[in-house]
Amino acid sequence: MTYAWHDHTAELELHVESETEEGVYRDSLAAFGELVGGDESGEAVRMPVEVAAADRAALLVAWLEELVYLADARALEPERVTDLAVSDGELRATVEGRVAAPRPLVKAVTYHGAEFHHDGSRWHARVVLDV
Amino acid sequence: MSELRRVDDTLWEIPASARPDMRVPARVFADVDLIEAIASDSSLEQLQNVATLPGIVGAALAMPDIHQGYGFPVGGVAATELPDGVVSPGGVGYDINCGVRLLAAPFSDQELGARREGLVHEISRAVPAGAGKEVRGRGPDLDEVLRHGSSAVGAEADVELTESRGCLTGADPGAVSARAKERGRGQLGTMGSGNHFVEVQRVDRLLDAGAAAAYGLAEGQVTILIHSGSRGLGHQVCTDYVKRMDAAMRRYAIELPDRQLACAPASSTEGREYLAAMAAAANFAWANRQAIADAVRAAIERVVGKGARRATRQVYDVAHNVAKVETYGGREVIVHRKGATRAFPAGSDEIPSAYRDVGQPVFIPGSMGTASYVLAGEPGSLERSFGTTCHGAGRLLSRTAARRQIAGSDLRRQLEAKGIVVRCPSPKGLAEEAPFAYKDVERVVEVVERAGLARRVARLVPLGVVKG
Repeated sequence: MTYAWHDHTAELELHVESETEEGVYRDSLAAFGELVGGDESGEAVRMPVEVAAADRAALLVAWLEELVYLADARALEPERVTDLAVSDGELRATVEGRVAAPRPLVKAVTYHGAEFHHDGSRWHARVVLDV
Repeated sequence: MSELRRVDDTLWEIPASARPDMRVPARVFADVDLIEAIASDSSLEQLQNVATLPGIVGAALAMPDIHQGYGFPVGGVAATELPDGVVSPGGVGYDINCGVRLLAAPFSDQELGARREGLVHEISRAVPAGAGKEVRGRGPDLDEVLRHGSSAVGAEADVELTESRGCLTGADPGAVSARAKERGRGQLGTMGSGNHFVEVQRVDRLLDAGAAAAYGLAEGQVTILIHSGSRGLGHQVCTDYVKRMDAAMRRYAIELPDRQLACAPASSTEGREYLAAMAAAANFAWANRQAIADAVRAAIERVVGKGARRATRQVYDVAHNVAKVETYGGREVIVHRKGATRAFPAGSDEIPSAYRDVGQPVFIPGSMGTASYVLAGEPGSLERSFGTTCHGAGRLLSRTAARRQIAGSDLRRQLEAKGIVVRCPSPKGLAEEAPFAYKDVERVVEVVERAGLARRVARLVPLGVVKG
């Protein structure tokens, strides 16, 4: 697991580091799941997700926004992602998790300081969540 | 921040010349100690970024409870001139019309006596943090709520004592996405998490007896402060329009130092539709606090007895994340208030007639374990801050820093030792909201009083708190 929560006065700032571009999306889901989940009960479900954006940072924001929406509207506590495919500003995946009682903590995902880049050896991403 | 200079006792300024992209100065209301804390994070840089918005007039302003946010700082105020000044969804924030409502109970702390714990417990049962499956699908017609706000669910007496009568004009449910409506459906009457709460309090001290009498407050009286917003519906409206404006800015030749400030001219299609959707979300938030207030009243009746529900009076309800069209010096502007409260003085037509001689009530929550304040708007707000004052104590420490300093279980014990009943499902969430994570509310309200933005009317102390 290569994500970390960094200090931010009021919000939550997520930093992710991964060998692959796809890994950033997997780890950001794990981070989000840790924030809102924890309920072992609930029906296991699989939900398909499709998002698109103009650039990598915006695509990461869109991906996390989708998880916020699924938690809020469908009570999904995400656990893992399968069938993940990322190309040309589009992401397709299946989110697996449980329909339970996710903690209503994350309001939204912001563009503030959003980053997603490769430093020559690894992928790095940063995003601030409004909580 | 070398360009920061002191203007007077409570005002600091970074001149517009500090950066080539600033259109107006950045001004902060603070004292020496508060400005030191404010300068320790990115708040001032974020305020300078706000000063770059096309159409901004006067100054980018910050209240003494300012702290670093995303795009706009929390505690920030920006007025953009109509028709072509911009509107920025990030200048309102995701929790559109997050705000506070104060109820005054018909009994004192002494009369409540040993039933205090039972009351806090009943409120925790009556006001869920998030919508459970059992809540979804019930409630009034959502489009009616989006159009009419408080009056769709509340009695006229409450509507009259709500900012803007609990309804922004121009609300259009058609400008609200299906996804936003899906998130909001079933969330009326839910508190949310984070810093949202319902707090049972005692009026500790009256500082302006005349205004307190007008507001129906007496020493020793029990009050209930409700802090919540537009829940998932408002969050999704902001998400939708930030994305849309981010994509549209190039078309309007707008360049900004922070993508989260995404904006469009208020007169543009994007601007007009955002304002219609934001108004709808603001109306949802007022209806939400109305539904919470009704649930609290029912809880009071269950604990205290018949008649207590009807006798629990609403003092007022104020928004602290909203954009409103107002007029200053003959200019029609959109005032963005993000973590800031309207504070109109005595005589304003916008104030309920019962309060018109004393000024608009403003509620400043402290933090768990510390006092909250009732203020009244003062004329200086119209002259200096686009009719605005602060909204809270203002965060000082990050959530992780707060958790590093105390465990939720220890904090609960400390609060209970002070006689404060605590109901919070998450020890982690409780620790994140520890009183020391916030600035000193006494100092914040003292600054706005010295600055002439609002004056202190009453000090409220906590008896019990329910957190999401």
